Amino acid sequence: MRLHNLKPGTIAIVSDIVGNSALRKKLLGMGLTKGAKLRVVRNAPLKDPMEIEVRGYHLSLRKAEAENVIVEVKEE
Amino acid sequence: MIKVALAGNPNVGKSVIFNALTGAKQKVGNWPGVTVEKKEGICEHRGKKMLIVDLPGIYSLSAVSIDEKIARDFILNEKPDVVVSIVDASNIERNLYLTLQLIEMEANVVVALNKMDLAKSKGYRIDARKLSAELGIPVVPMVAIRGEGIEELKNTIIHASHMQRKPVIRYSDGIERYIELLKSKVVENSILPEYPSRFVAIKLLEFDEEILSRAGIGEEVIKEWISSVS
Amino acid sequence: MDFVSELALARYEKIGEIVGRCVERVEKPKTFSDLVDTVVTDKYVGIPIFLSFMWAVFQFAYSVSAPFSDAIDVFFSACSDWAKSSIANPQLASLIGDGIFGGWGFVLVFLPPIAFVFVALAILEDTGYLPRAAFVMDRALTKVGLQGKSFIPMLLGFGCNLPAIMATRTIEDDTDRKITIMVNPLMSCSARLPVYVLFAGVFFEKVAGAVITSMYMLGIVLAAVMATLFRKFIFGGKPSPLLMEFPPYATPAPRSVLMSARNRTLVFLKKAATVLFIGALVMWFLTTYPWDATNGGELIENSYASAIGHAVEPLIRPFGLDWTAGVALVGGFLAKEIVVGTLGMIYGVGEEEVADVIPEHFTPASALALMIITLIYLPCLATLGILRQELGSWKWTAFVVAYELVLAFVVAWIAYGIAVGLGVA
Repeated sequence: MRLHNLKPGTIAIVSDIVGNSALRKKLLGMGLTKGAKLRVVRNAPLKDPMEIEVRGYHLSLRKAEAENVIVEVKEE
Repeated sequence: MIKVALAGNPNVGKSVIFNALTGAKQKVGNWPGVTVEKKEGICEHRGKKMLIVDLPGIYSLSAVSIDEKIARDFILNEKPDVVVSIVDASNIERNLYLTLQLIEMEANVVVALNKMDLAKSKGYRIDARKLSAELGIPVVPMVAIRGEGIEELKNTIIHASHMQRKPVIRYSDGIERYIELLKSKVVENSILPEYPSRFVAIKLLEFDEEILSRAGIGEEVIKEWISSVS
Repeated sequence: MDFVSELALARYEKIGEIVGRCVERVEKPKTFSDLVDTVVTDKYVGIPIFLSFMWAVFQFAYSVSAPFSDAIDVFFSACSDWAKSSIANPQLASLIGDGIFGGWGFVLVFLPPIAFVFVALAILEDTGYLPRAAFVMDRALTKVGLQGKSFIPMLLGFGCNLPAIMATRTIEDDTDRKITIMVNPLMSCSARLPVYVLFAGVFFEKVAGAVITSMYMLGIVLAAVMATLFRKFIFGGKPSPLLMEFPPYATPAPRSVLMSARNRTLVFLKKAATVLFIGALVMWFLTTYPWDATNGGELIENSYASAIGHAVEPLIRPFGLDWTAGVALVGGFLAKEIVVGTLGMIYGVGEEEVADVIPEHFTPASALALMIITLIYLPCLATLGILRQELGSWKWTAFVVAYELVLAFVVAWIAYGIAVGLGVA
């Protein structure tokens, strides 16, 4: 399951980050590491980008970027 | 003059701290060759003069973006006497990521633990003393926007400029094995001796483009070294 | 083994251990910020709220600053008049009166809107609202080669492109920033409006409002098209990743706001003001000399500027425009506000009577061409100065000038052709 497909309210755990190395380093640096717990807060009015809560703060990222985050859903 | 760099994530209150330290004695320009704003200022305290350089706000020192490159180059090449790692206490986990990377670089780090008030309102209680003991470096709790902690920060910077504490923070055994391996290769082959060897080792493991090209080494060499252990 | 993620993981694991030993979580209340965000990024209300904030910034910056600009204008006009009446030598009087005081007045009139824009921007930044604005607008903007943070600079361009381009400093990525800067002049600034009002009023009476609005729309469409082209062919690839943090909302601290505004305004004063001032002197010279021929600047048709207008005429004759339009357009390089006034000077009438004389020199189709050229052809000198500063090189600045000139002629040619074809000539 990938982050960009999750609906608002979903809680998930990061399994892996894929994609080009520059983006991966950025995503990892922002706290999206294996085992990190996140919650999808909302999508923007135009459906993209999406806002998530991770490691105690709120992060917004485009669906194209979120697609690189493989997650395991915990609750919906 | 003591050369001090201010590092930290965007939104941690870096400008507030910079302004509090330098007052009106600041200069705004650009980092050479790019259109990124550079702020520098002077802080005088107890007869000592400090040159404060405000680095761009960054989340990590992976040198992927221009801001990160500027910050990293400054710390590695200009070798500031003290690097103040400004940490947003209300967001401490993600903020400490940069602090750990600064420690890896063997910079002389002082943590300015800012926004203590916000952390408190979010329900966090942080023991700054314990944090300092864990990290091996000074930690100054602050609420910069109210001016709290500024004087203590100035004192700590001056004190740290004499002390030069360079703690090593060891990660899990699994990964330390590889870091040690690469570190010995770095020392053996005299790879980038002008930079701390543990830092170079970690960057090589991360296939850091800049370090790889500076050292003139390709990813395959690293992969070879790694597989020789397993 | 993938060490990039392993190392990141190792660091966060370490952090987790340390934090576990030093930090205690007492309770997690729903913060004020969360509540505000529920409204501000809401599916239905988010965009309207954003637009109203933008309107407010706009009003604040341009309306509130207007009295200050007027005061500066009046002051320097007075100084100019004083100089011209007090100094015996007429050429010196003109130099000091029109050249220097006129030049300073011209430059400093920009100061209030710029300062107020920076204040508004600093307030927005300090409150933490900007990331939410970028969040709401990002999708629309990435589709045309820009990104969420481009919106405010693009919007500010409707007032004046100079502070708008300086406002692009909030965009971290160099390429995203460059593209935003390069298409910003296509946002029709307030100085161009008098040209539209004049010509649309004379030739398109009944539908004047619609014509004027379509000028603005044309600018927006062209900006979108050019940004898409630049992204695709020059800079390649996609906008830099968004990965943007939402800081908690905060009350802006007055000292921080003022200091931020002060620093950025000083940057303007230092760099752009010098370019502007020199440019104003050059324009003064071109419109006043040869001294005897122009009788001290009265007979502008005998000046060097006029010679330039005549030289330019062959380029604009295909649109039914003559040398008088040429001079006006040359004047428009200094400041778009001058276009209408320059026409008045050439026709020897006051600004109010220009409308009566216009039909003798223009047709509806050529008027349309002139409006379009005014919209697109060149950034004004002030904007040129800031482009050089923010783009970092003359190469890129020259590119902007070149693409705008080409685009202006192409679009004007198409529009003129269509207008003539429809029998509007």
